Amino acid sequence: MSEGPPRRRVVLTLGTAGLAAGGLGLLAALARSVVPDVLYEAPRRFPIGRPEDYPPNSVTLLPERRLFVFRTAEGFHAISAICTHLGCNVNHEEGHGFVCPCHGSTYDEDGDVTNGPAAWPLPRYAMSLSRRGELVVDTRRTVDPDFRLRA
Amino acid sequence: MSEPTRGRIHRAWRRIYRSVFRIGWPRTRQQRLAAMLSSLALHVHPTRVRVHVLRFSSTLGLGLVAFYLFLILIVTGLALMLYYVPHPDAAYRSMKDIQFAVTFGMFLRNTHRWAAHGMVAVVFLHMCRVFFTGSYKRPREFNWVVGVLLLLLTLALSFTGYLLPWDQLAFWAITVGTSIVAYFPLVGEPARYLLLGGHEIGQAALLRFYVLHCVILPLLMASLIALHFWRVVKDGGLAAPPGRMRRAPAWPHLLFRELLILVFVLVLVHAAALAFDAPLEQIADAARTPNPAKAPWYFLGLQELVHYGAILGGVVVPTAMIIALLVLPYVDRRGGGVGVWFARERRRANTVFALLAVVVVVLTVIGTFFRGPNWDWVWPWLR
Repeated sequence: MSEGPPRRRVVLTLGTAGLAAGGLGLLAALARSVVPDVLYEAPRRFPIGRPEDYPPNSVTLLPERRLFVFRTAEGFHAISAICTHLGCNVNHEEGHGFVCPCHGSTYDEDGDVTNGPAAWPLPRYAMSLSRRGELVVDTRRTVDPDFRLRA
Repeated sequence: MSEPTRGRIHRAWRRIYRSVFRIGWPRTRQQRLAAMLSSLALHVHPTRVRVHVLRFSSTLGLGLVAFYLFLILIVTGLALMLYYVPHPDAAYRSMKDIQFAVTFGMFLRNTHRWAAHGMVAVVFLHMCRVFFTGSYKRPREFNWVVGVLLLLLTLALSFTGYLLPWDQLAFWAITVGTSIVAYFPLVGEPARYLLLGGHEIGQAALLRFYVLHCVILPLLMASLIALHFWRVVKDGGLAAPPGRMRRAPAWPHLLFRELLILVFVLVLVHAAALAFDAPLEQIADAARTPNPAKAPWYFLGLQELVHYGAILGGVVVPTAMIIALLVLPYVDRRGGGVGVWFARERRRANTVFALLAVVVVVLTVIGTFFRGPNWDWVWPWLR
């Protein structure tokens, strides 16, 4: 390629570069196309019913949402039921916190790790009241353990 | 029929036959050498093989067994694809159909499952054989690397297939497995998102696992197997000690042995498929975690490590092991001990490898049999 008149060399170089750029672009487009833009998943922010559906001083598991809803004297709060270790559903043991059946991680009532392989606390999700008076959980927003929703 | 007509038919038939098989059935030594070269299926073999590697004890036929299992998996997998529907609403029902409404469906599924499990074990044993006989030494370094990639592909194929039945076993094994992926620093979370096609194991994840399992990974696997076999011949045939150069023609000595091993594998896999049914638990339910939730058995060694710490078991140990395997032939460059089991000059390397292999096996056995609810220790005979 280095032989021949300079003009031919330039054309060849440009051609090769163009071909390489085009090929890389195609590959990049292919790679980008396999990253989904639209997800047909359950919404991350959802209503969970009216406050009076939850008896005072109760812990309710919403299995479909993989979520625990607490109602105490101070108000409502929600803790994820998905173990932060490897994604199994934790069980709640009254007064003792949460236990994961997969690898034995344990958490206290606030969702903080007390034992086992889990490295992070169970996420505590933001709650609010909709205009229609429904409790709403937003799993995209986590809150401090002392968060309570008065309702 | 008149004599000339019969002659014409005979000549036409011979022309067709000879256009397919140029040599015909080889009868002389010369024809047999030619036959080995003129057929696509046969020319991956050398025409003559060193007598040493023909002995069953030098290879145990493990690589060949793994290849036969792969062929069985392709054939049974294609048949299963005619009934299986990769959608959460239909997958589990189509599994039930395969088991109860398809003639020989249960048998088909059993064959596929046991061949798959067998392949994981046999590929691992094949790797051990190659190590203990020093067969990864120059000039076979690169073929060892290809072999390591084939081991990883085997695991990936097994893992992606594990989700497809869409039962509780599948769902939670993949939940645990893909959560381990997410622990890798920086790339973990995006990789999991890409693998699942979202945040949760749902329709997108099932379709992705299906395409990976049925198209992408088998194609990669077939290409790498072709490379692996081709390199065996190009690297001078299977490893044998330098002195023993006596050779025998591949037809019939090598082909007969290959056929024998094929029969052996077919009998064993079919016996397993007749004796043991592949499990199918209740339909996948994200709201209910079985206790304990276990990954596929070949990842239970990792899960046992993950129980002590997710970063340790999920990231550090597997990454270190894969890198160690990949660079091994370029680090251990001392000659000697090639083609001999447990050669004295390789005693240290063999001891280290054997220890590691034993650790892997012991961890896997613990994870499989000695772990019960909440991953607590149980004695399997007291259950």
